[in-house]
Amino acid sequence: MASSTNTQNAEPLRRDDSTVLSRIADNPWPAARWVAVMGVLVLLELGALLGGFLNVVEALLIAVTGLAEVTVGLVSSSLAAGILGFQQSAASTLSGLRADTEGIPTLLSRDVIPNQGYQPGGTGAWEGPFLGLEPAYAWALRLVLVLAYALVLSYWLFRGWLVFREHYRQMEWSPTDDVVDKLRTHRWGQFGIVILVLFLTMGLFGPAMGPTTVEQNILSPYTEDSRIEYYNAESGSVETVFAGEANFNAKSIGSQDSNVGPMTYDDYGRFHPFGTLTNGRDLFTFMMGGARISLIVTGIAIGLGTLLAGGLAMVSAFYRGSIDLGVLTLADGIVSVPRLLLLIMVSAVFANTWLGNILDGGFLLAVVFGLTIWPFLWRAVRGPALQVAQEAWVDAAKSFGQQPSIIMRKHMFPYIMGYLLIYASMSAGGIIISLSALSFLGNGLGISPPTPAWGRAVSLGQGLVSGPSWHISFIPGAMIVLLVTGMNAFGDGIRDAIDPESDTGEGGETTAAGGGG
Amino acid sequence: MNRSIYLLKRIALALPVILFGLTVTFLILYRGPLDPANAILGQDAAPSDVRRLRVALGYINPDGSPVPLWQQYYGVMSDLLLFDFGNSWAVQRNVSVASIIVSRMPATLWLGFWSVMVALVVGIPTGFFAGLRANSLSDYVASGGGIVWRAMPNFWLAVILAGSLTAGGLMSWYRHFPCGPNENPCAWRTDVVTTPSEVSNLFSTIDLFTGVPVLEMLFIPVPNGFNLLIAFKWILPAALVLGSASMGNEIRIGRTAVLESINSKYVETAKAKGLSPRRIIVKHVGRNAAIPLLPVIMGEFYLLIGGSVLVEKVFSINGLGNLFFRAIIVPDIPVVMALVFIFVLINVFVNITQDLLYTVIDPRVTLEDTG
Repeated sequence: MASSTNTQNAEPLRRDDSTVLSRIADNPWPAARWVAVMGVLVLLELGALLGGFLNVVEALLIAVTGLAEVTVGLVSSSLAAGILGFQQSAASTLSGLRADTEGIPTLLSRDVIPNQGYQPGGTGAWEGPFLGLEPAYAWALRLVLVLAYALVLSYWLFRGWLVFREHYRQMEWSPTDDVVDKLRTHRWGQFGIVILVLFLTMGLFGPAMGPTTVEQNILSPYTEDSRIEYYNAESGSVETVFAGEANFNAKSIGSQDSNVGPMTYDDYGRFHPFGTLTNGRDLFTFMMGGARISLIVTGIAIGLGTLLAGGLAMVSAFYRGSIDLGVLTLADGIVSVPRLLLLIMVSAVFANTWLGNILDGGFLLAVVFGLTIWPFLWRAVRGPALQVAQEAWVDAAKSFGQQPSIIMRKHMFPYIMGYLLIYASMSAGGIIISLSALSFLGNGLGISPPTPAWGRAVSLGQGLVSGPSWHISFIPGAMIVLLVTGMNAFGDGIRDAIDPESDTGEGGETTAAGGGG
Repeated sequence: MNRSIYLLKRIALALPVILFGLTVTFLILYRGPLDPANAILGQDAAPSDVRRLRVALGYINPDGSPVPLWQQYYGVMSDLLLFDFGNSWAVQRNVSVASIIVSRMPATLWLGFWSVMVALVVGIPTGFFAGLRANSLSDYVASGGGIVWRAMPNFWLAVILAGSLTAGGLMSWYRHFPCGPNENPCAWRTDVVTTPSEVSNLFSTIDLFTGVPVLEMLFIPVPNGFNLLIAFKWILPAALVLGSASMGNEIRIGRTAVLESINSKYVETAKAKGLSPRRIIVKHVGRNAAIPLLPVIMGEFYLLIGGSVLVEKVFSINGLGNLFFRAIIVPDIPVVMALVFIFVLINVFVNITQDLLYTVIDPRVTLEDTG
């Protein structure tokens, strides 16, 4: 094959100072093949991917400007107001762009594979769903296709790294290779990765995965766009109704005659994979919406916490002495106030203020999570950081006159990054649980309604667990258990891959991972 | 280093920690956008009333000028550190915060005690059992259960458990387990979870804040066994939920710790000496496995404090967690400040105890390392 001879030819080039681009130019085939498949994959779902990307950009923008706003606000309130104005205009531009991306045709959307419809005459073929299938099958087909697409896409991204490693990387070997190779035989870790991909898919493609949309079913069920057609058995004709009115008659409130359980239809021919909530909204759609906000909040929190923990661990390991002691005291001080109580306090105090309204209350919580989670991560990576700070290469870099910040970034950070990843993924589970616990408590805490939040669903079904409407509380909690287990499995996998010997002695840190809420 | 000197050093280091926690709480409550006067008097209160209340709460001077923040800070902190918690604003107006807390404490202690016990009694033996039969089917069941148990949110587990106990069906045997004479029919309701009078009586004899009549504690009335059993029945589901995460951790850490020590040289030596398996497990495996378990067990206290808010709310237990939640929603700042102060104190105390315990179980740990 041409590619294999090319690889042979490219071999001598790998250890010199050539750039990645020149190496690709020398041996273009593997890269070209990867890019071609990737291009097809991206084109298929361009609209959804762009929409998801803009969502992340928007969240990041809000996070960064929000932080800047708070810090600047301490000095000058007019400057802070300026930042607020910028934030609002930029965010609205982004939402506009996002609305535009919804116009881009995507293959796996509800326009291509619709699932809502009615049976003219009450029986027989369905009018509306894809290929005249029953709505349940049309929805399941779309769901399976979206999930399969997401798995293929993530595999192909990984494949890209493999291609890079085999053909274009300058180093023949790096420690990351061993970690990845070990993970490829670690079934438990792979389970974690699959679960993570699954939930990330829910966050990214959620609008296409639910049987209906958050917009139509939950946020604005009484607009003209939210009309649905159904077959009215009494009048014997097809009529239209607002989704909100249909919801009103599809409530699950615990009695046999007023319950829409999992995998059933309501009176309007709408299929509910997870049943409906007490207010008749579709639980599956609610869960998809909740996945997005949960993952955004967790992402911001873990990002902030990891950044702080990694930075402070390196600084305290590099300088030691009183700086180390200072960080230790600060960490102890933060840990001494139980996190859930602090979150309840902050959430209650700032409810209904502008700060408490960014990202439906999620932003403030994400910052508090980030500021309170780092002591746990810091304690976990302080050991490895102290170890690496005593290595000969750090000494060598010091005597060479290298700047401390560069030593930390180039010679210490790669070593502690793996440990950070382990504990970050394990703490992420704790954040998910605490976040839903706050939404469960309600009273202005947590994510503010009507934006979906997992904990609120549990709270809505609280009194109905023992009756026919058990699904309202049970399913959201079971999904949280699945996600948290997956995150712990992912952390376990990386830990075993980095250092198979280190299985004990981290009890104090792992307590941060589970429970709590 | 001498143990008492070490202890003094730890206490000295704990002071900034406590101050930090309290300062953060103070800033959130007093500098944040809370308006207690509005919350207490309602939206349509007369301005003169609001003003009088603000003067009384220490927000403004009688002449209308605001009290500077540092002055409020000094007042609040000096009162707290002298254990003068003041009176409640809203939860139980004009009742002293200390007496409210003392009246709520027994329920939380009763819950916390059993959640620690349940986790210990179930978690550690299960972990040891799984470790001793590593990679067998029973190991997979035990450690798999531990993993899922650990990932379950407390509030969800509480909702599911309370719901299934109320419904009967599969769980109906539990109602009859010990059924008191006043329960007719034997039922499960979440609103009757109480502290046995033996435990609450114990508390009424101790006035924590005006001096402790220690002698009276020695004359505890003989507990009525049946009442204790019924109270235990009411508290067990809540305790199981509150201890769930710790139990999962204990299974996990216990298993790996046993695995680690069972393959070590000293266990081999003990076997070669002809020690009985039971003696090996208790003396050589168990003691060494206790070292990594210690932070997990002590970490339970940390989880208990936060978790009690959720569990007490779902099971309608009238304890400190429920009090905290009500106080912050109203808001009743003196109650919140006092509770945070107590929780921070407990945390710091538990941390110091943990480090001291390390030196007791593991003689290799020197006090210099941990300072």
